[in-house]
Amino acid sequence: MELTAQLLVYGVLMGLIFALIALGLSLIFGVMNIVNFAHGEFLMMGMYIAYLLSTFLHLDPLISLPIAAGAGYLLGIGSYHILIHRILRGPMVAQLFGTFGLMLFLRYLAMYIFTPDVRSVKQGILVGKTLSMGWVNVDASKIFSAGVCLLAFAAIYWMIYRTKLGRGLRATSIDAEAAKYMGIDTKGMNALAWGIGGATVALAGALLAHFYYVTPTVGMLFTLIAFATVALGGFGSILGAFVAGIIIGLIMVISGQLVSELKFSFIYVVYFLVVVFRPRGLFGW
Amino acid sequence: MTWKKMGMFSLIVLFSLFLVLPNLSLAQKEVKIGVILPLSGPLAPIGKSLKEGAELAADIVNKKYPGIGIPIAEWEGIPGLGGAKIKLIFSDSRGDPAWGAEQAKRLIEDEKVVGLMGAYQSAVTKTASVEAERAGIPFVNPDSTSPDLSKRGFKWFWRVTPHETWFTRDLFDFLDGLVAGKAQGVKAVPKSELEPLAVAAENTEWGAASLAEIEKFAKERGWKIAESFKYPHKATDLTSEARKLTASKAPTFLFASYVSDAILFIKALKEMKATPRLIWGQNAGFIQPDFWKTLGADVNGIVSRDVFSSVLGKVKPEADRINKIYKERSGFDFDGSSARDFIGVQVWAHALNAAKSTDPKALQKALNELHIPGKELIMPWKGVKFGSPFPGDTNQNELGSGIIIQYQGYPDGKPEIVFPFEMATSRLIYPFAGWK
Repeated sequence: MELTAQLLVYGVLMGLIFALIALGLSLIFGVMNIVNFAHGEFLMMGMYIAYLLSTFLHLDPLISLPIAAGAGYLLGIGSYHILIHRILRGPMVAQLFGTFGLMLFLRYLAMYIFTPDVRSVKQGILVGKTLSMGWVNVDASKIFSAGVCLLAFAAIYWMIYRTKLGRGLRATSIDAEAAKYMGIDTKGMNALAWGIGGATVALAGALLAHFYYVTPTVGMLFTLIAFATVALGGFGSILGAFVAGIIIGLIMVISGQLVSELKFSFIYVVYFLVVVFRPRGLFGW
Repeated sequence: MTWKKMGMFSLIVLFSLFLVLPNLSLAQKEVKIGVILPLSGPLAPIGKSLKEGAELAADIVNKKYPGIGIPIAEWEGIPGLGGAKIKLIFSDSRGDPAWGAEQAKRLIEDEKVVGLMGAYQSAVTKTASVEAERAGIPFVNPDSTSPDLSKRGFKWFWRVTPHETWFTRDLFDFLDGLVAGKAQGVKAVPKSELEPLAVAAENTEWGAASLAEIEKFAKERGWKIAESFKYPHKATDLTSEARKLTASKAPTFLFASYVSDAILFIKALKEMKATPRLIWGQNAGFIQPDFWKTLGADVNGIVSRDVFSSVLGKVKPEADRINKIYKERSGFDFDGSSARDFIGVQVWAHALNAAKSTDPKALQKALNELHIPGKELIMPWKGVKFGSPFPGDTNQNELGSGIIIQYQGYPDGKPEIVFPFEMATSRLIYPFAGWK
């Protein structure tokens, strides 16, 4: 019972972060059919924003959350306007290599500026605080992060399904050509998808920085998991990213308990099964 | 006439000078030692510190350094070779085993070096020493720790540093010592307080080998292991692994982890309010500056194996004096790597002195019979003497040892030496106080 409770709590809390990381990736793919390899680097950048603001300006990492989200939004929009919309005209391979190049550029830029040293946020109201809930002791910042993830999902869900802007996004994702003829600014919608993608993943980064270390290559670890999450949940599905994130979190914790060495294999076994038996993912269309 | 006389006189002076010159040239003779190190690529910073360690040792042999307190500082060259100076010829291995072997060949054939030294990375040492073995030229290895290197039965390869097996034995000597009440400031700890052990190791070649060594020694020394597992290194999350450790109810946690995983483990254990009595790290991540810089006060009480500590000067004044010179030259303190390459050159100096010749056979004999007492070394060792300390070892220094450090008083503290017990620079903090 104690074991079940602990695994459930740790799995769901970590899963919600995975879900928020995957959300942007899924959205960008859903709207534009393009895979953003630099997604993990956006995450890394969000983590560095929290780290820099906390270390040099002594701001609580909580304050860095909206700043990171804003910077992530700008980074997303900027990447779209400077790079992505140009390579969209090229073949599929060019698109793949384009975002791959962006990934390398951001990673090694960070390496150059920050050196490969491992760093972490040390001060903050929630940093390093532990809450005891019966059988389970949990880092307070993980619980807070889970709350923010839920809110972010609710906000994005509302935006996409209840607003005019969201309708535009959905229309673009279903049929960009038709949407264009209907007078929807599809280019603007694409940029918006990149903006939201950047904002959510940078927000996840700033949350993660509360309890995770920061280093230029940290994004790589999470990118692969995000790909599996998106595939499992279904490309372009917000609900899918949410559910799949939690499933991946649970698989990771439970398999870590059983055979730690194989825990990533378990994730990819599930991914493989989904690809074989339900290629559109749990909630994909 | 005066001019003629002057001319005569000058000729006589010149002539007598020529008579003396052979001696002069003998006094100025150089002995070339080839040193292969990773001087470019990702390991270049370490390579540079190794190079500086070796250069300082050569300088101390070649020039007079009064007041240091070790014999080579009084030598001014190799006495056994009429005061010949040591000249180190450095060569970049690029961290590449094939290139390292090329360099060994080049140093032997083109530079005509008397012997070789290096090469830090075990894989490079492995290939470079094959070239030396083939050519019948001595290779002194001060800085590679893969146990295999000294188990090849080579006749031209001598390893000065202890290898990994040693370090694991140190851990069990430390645990047994705690039980026997040998640790400074700690009463004999009942074995039941430390047993069983729980071990987490990353799933790399090194992690797996560490785990196997720990399991082997635990069996030999009669320590029970409650939980031992390998985990994917550079993991995104280690909560369930940390949970596994705490659930095992073991009071002693042992880790073989790289720095990012070490940080995640300690953070997760803190989150779970784990209460181990002892946390030990197998070097690597547990001694990286990033480890204590990131975790700050959370590292206090954690112990890790190491090979050197800058607080060693407290118990070894010679080490302190040499470290001061090193710091003036390089800008930073000796570390386990640079200190060992310093000793590498020291071994060469003693061997050349004893051999009284640069003939390979004479050097081989001198190295086989070499004995440098511990008080002349800047490492916490009993000395340098080659033999077979573990089954299968040949020409492996028998008198080396590792140390175990404990983080005390961080974020502003220093890693204090707590093992070997007789070299301890501070009282051991036991049991681990937990995290606030």
